[in-house]
Amino acid sequence: MLHGFRYAAPRSRSELLDLLAEHGDHAKVLAGGTDLLVNIRGGNMKPGLVIDVKRVEGYGGLAWDPAEGLSLLPAATINDVLRDKRVRANFPLLAVCAQDLASYQIRNRATVIGNVVNASPCSDMAPALLCLGARAEIASARGSRSVLFSEFFTGVKKTVLAKDEILERIVVPASAAGTKGEYRKLKRINGHDLGIVGVAIARKNGSLRIAVSSAAPTPVLVAGLPGTASVDEAVAAVLAAVSPISDVRCTKEYRLFMIETFVRRLMEEMK
Amino acid sequence: MTRISLTVNGKRYERDVAENRTLLRFLREDLGLIGTKEGCGAGECGACTVLFDGLTVNSCMVLAVEADGRAVETIEGEAKDGKLSDLQEAFQKHHAVQCGFCTPGMIMSTRELLHRTPKPTVAEIKEGIEGNFCRCTGYQQIVEAVLDVSGQLEKKGELRHA
Repeated sequence: MLHGFRYAAPRSRSELLDLLAEHGDHAKVLAGGTDLLVNIRGGNMKPGLVIDVKRVEGYGGLAWDPAEGLSLLPAATINDVLRDKRVRANFPLLAVCAQDLASYQIRNRATVIGNVVNASPCSDMAPALLCLGARAEIASARGSRSVLFSEFFTGVKKTVLAKDEILERIVVPASAAGTKGEYRKLKRINGHDLGIVGVAIARKNGSLRIAVSSAAPTPVLVAGLPGTASVDEAVAAVLAAVSPISDVRCTKEYRLFMIETFVRRLMEEMK
Repeated sequence: MTRISLTVNGKRYERDVAENRTLLRFLREDLGLIGTKEGCGAGECGACTVLFDGLTVNSCMVLAVEADGRAVETIEGEAKDGKLSDLQEAFQKHHAVQCGFCTPGMIMSTRELLHRTPKPTVAEIKEGIEGNFCRCTGYQQIVEAVLDVSGQLEKKGELRHA
């Protein structure tokens, strides 16, 4: 049984921003609901108002602009990303990470924006977005701002978003199109499971970027490695950047071992 | 309470629902469609899988108010005029039903899979039911039923463990 709350499904952006300005301190945004409704049911979140953003005009799906790049809007689901040919052609790493997220029917509902706003250290979409240099376009009644994903996560389940703000668009820059990428996620079963650790590697034009999930309070990005970096140099840079803990899913030592293993394998595969 | 209007298995309904009512409870308790089951209530098991505008969702994680204006399909929509659907018959023929609790969700997931991929590979069938748990662990028979209904029973050999 879910606690009692009010529900609003604004049709316009201005209506949404006004609702957040007035009720942000006790409201929660609903997109796919695959995290929010579990949190409400478990008593971890008790919003007085649930604001469904899926009916806001202009908030659906994906958009492509050759100059700017790919826009992921608040109602864009993980399966929307997987079905989009422009994503596979230009940003294959996004599709690889999306494919590893939860189960098929959850991918029909869960949104990319919800996955990053939830800010779990084991987010599957964060490694791709970090590697591709994506940015978050954030809006509130006070105005708009733009934040790179490398600055977006501030702690376990914490982001730079203020209570009256919404992440209304993710922009994957056109300059990242053609980036080659791969993702390895350690999990107990070959299907619906949370990651124990995840490593994404992206290469483009002599640059190498590596992102790691479930290895620190936030998803971690190692940028600035030269494309000529050796396997050992890449491993050293990644291990210096992560700080995994032991928890119910595995020990700190096993996480470190598997991060190194995945970095080595991916570096060999993506020479 | 909020007034919602939706279709379920092609039939139109208008109802007042509490904002905190899940689609699963709405189907079971307000409409009496108890074929859809509640397992975990948290999106892990898939027993509550229904089609929502043609795509599978866990109905325990959808609010009934979100279904306003939408089309929902449940296990009750499979059999027509007292006759089981081809998919249901294949499940029966291959003993893909043991305790039966996961079956409605399995049928809805494989129904959507067959809509988008009429001849799925074994790997595609496994991906199609990755969010549906069978605690009797009768997965092999379920995959066989889907292969049979899509006319590909010869692929059954791919199911053996190496």
